[in-house]
Amino acid sequence: MNGANDFIKSIKKNSTGISADGALIWIETDPIAIVDACDACIGKGGAFDSAFAYPSSNGKDWTVAYLFRVPKLENIAIVWSHAKQFYSISGKIPAAMWDERKMAETSGIRFFGLSDTRPIVIHPESYNLLKGKVSASLPKKQKELYKTDYAFRGTEKEGEFEIPVGPVHAGIIEPGHFRFHVTGEEINKMEVRLSYLHKGIEKILVGKPLDKAFPIIEQISGDESVANSVAYAQAVEMALGIAVPKRAESVRLLLLELERIYSHLADIGGMAMDVGFYAVSARFAALREEVMRLNEGVFSNRFLRNIISIGGAEETASAEEIAALVNDMRSISEELSRIEDLALTSSTFLDRVFLAGRVSKEAAKELSLVGPAARAAGVSCDARKHLPYGAYKTNKVIEHMAENGDVLSRLLVKINEIRESVRLIDAEIAKRVKGPISANIDNKLRNAKSGLIGVGICEAARGSSTFFLRTGKNGTIDVLLIRTSSFRNWRALEKAVMTNIVPDFPLINKSFNLSYSGADL
Amino acid sequence: MREFLAFFEKPKSDIISVDSESQQIRELAAFLKKRPRSLFSRSIAVRMIDCGSSNDVEIEEGLANAPQVDCERFGIHFVASPRHADVLIASGPVSINMKTALEKTYAAMPRPKAVVAVGDGACTGGLFKDSDYVFRSGRVDEIVPVDVKVKGNPPSSYAIVLGILKAGAAISKKR
Repeated sequence: MNGANDFIKSIKKNSTGISADGALIWIETDPIAIVDACDACIGKGGAFDSAFAYPSSNGKDWTVAYLFRVPKLENIAIVWSHAKQFYSISGKIPAAMWDERKMAETSGIRFFGLSDTRPIVIHPESYNLLKGKVSASLPKKQKELYKTDYAFRGTEKEGEFEIPVGPVHAGIIEPGHFRFHVTGEEINKMEVRLSYLHKGIEKILVGKPLDKAFPIIEQISGDESVANSVAYAQAVEMALGIAVPKRAESVRLLLLELERIYSHLADIGGMAMDVGFYAVSARFAALREEVMRLNEGVFSNRFLRNIISIGGAEETASAEEIAALVNDMRSISEELSRIEDLALTSSTFLDRVFLAGRVSKEAAKELSLVGPAARAAGVSCDARKHLPYGAYKTNKVIEHMAENGDVLSRLLVKINEIRESVRLIDAEIAKRVKGPISANIDNKLRNAKSGLIGVGICEAARGSSTFFLRTGKNGTIDVLLIRTSSFRNWRALEKAVMTNIVPDFPLINKSFNLSYSGADL
Repeated sequence: MREFLAFFEKPKSDIISVDSESQQIRELAAFLKKRPRSLFSRSIAVRMIDCGSSNDVEIEEGLANAPQVDCERFGIHFVASPRHADVLIASGPVSINMKTALEKTYAAMPRPKAVVAVGDGACTGGLFKDSDYVFRSGRVDEIVPVDVKVKGNPPSSYAIVLGILKAGAAISKKR
């Protein structure tokens, strides 16, 4: 832990107390020094991950915690402070803007210097539909937020038009609103407005027993069911100090990679669909349906749900069924190669995807993007590699990168990641891990103390998701705060569409394929 | 007395509940065998709206277009605008932020029309019926009349196709 000491030493001058407990580095600061401490974390190679606000244990204040991934230490640094008012860090770290807006709205904390204070979770026009007890419990200052209509950024130049799109879009897709500013065909600016699907997941989880939360966690985003469940399970396991058996880790890896495969197949097929290349998109759709059926055949659920549990996984697939996966993986990668040839030798297809929807490396770093979106722009950020967990500690992941940050780069990264997933599944099956699939957790759950904190990070298909947990009495959830990969990446879309034409928007949107439900919670 | 009558007038919705996928395929086949020829039995324009589901229902709706299921062979095609649609398929639970959008989408559809509630959230409110951020209990039929309910978390593509075909039959009766 020599590196950790260096890291701590360099941040020490901004903090009032530092503790490191193996997996987390806690950096306590004054509310005033929080900006400098966060800046120092970025300067020391940390990447902004997420920000959470929860009631302090003293019952009066709010605790605000900024999480940074520190790849060189394989560790997470948490800068935290408790007060009622804070200084906003989003002036120095623009990635934190949406996080701070959300914290300001949901907790009523005031952030000095936060340039955008528009509500992000509840829409002012639907505020009067809130159930009575919630709107009555809101402080007066927060009610003010919902009195005025949501102010979109207006047009600036002469001859500029606004195109409002959504929430109900043309395709089979979730709801979100996009406001384009165009002169002619070219997009000058685009603003995303989400939260149409906000159903209060973080609120409804409060008070639930720790082991009964999975059905709700799986509703965060259907095609990230496994990744979110694993991230949650890891948060609980860290908080309660549960060791996961090797075989459970192995099954988790298989599930995570299968999920990545079917998720990426949908993205690539969707990109072909949006440029009108139906021969390719139909074959991707067929391949994806095959993988979904494989999921059901082996693990009894098309979305791989109801398998992950705290301390391990459920026994759903026999050893023979899992061993037979190798053949399925071979046929998947063969079919993938055939379709890939079909797509990447078509000059009209390449013409549409090459240099469309670019996100520069600087922008990707500034917005602290995660997942294939960041890797396509040349930013290394794979949680499986930088913060290895479970079976990824022994299976080294090769991170596939690209430079351009355009639609083609994201497409190639995703194709390569499917291959990497196939390789990982093959390698893991070859190990034939044996033993129990679940740790005995009944005792630990029943005797869980309140106030324990756990952080779970898991790389989903769209990037790493972070779960922040504080336990309550008798093994319940007191606070569970969630930052999904989609929430972090949505703002990249605003950057990517600049100077592109409006008809390319569906293609660019599909190349990110972010989850609306995952961002709205 | 009026309340008594209202009970009978209340539109009854057809419920398709989840079982195994093979069961749903059998049910779909049985329905196709005996379905009567009518205006909406072989060409149904469908508009989907997601009012609060996780994207699982949308994935299954998308996979209804995949070559294995291929809903177009039953005359079902997804259209871009509610103004072109005969059937609305809504997934839920209906969040407060989507309530107005659902009302407007339904109002924009030409008559006669039918609604299918897809997924446990849309049919019953599911896990979120007590949440403060869904409209009342989150059921779609609290906002627009529902003709067919397809239960499941999520229901399979076959069940969704069956739900849409049953909704087509329901419109024919409304004319």
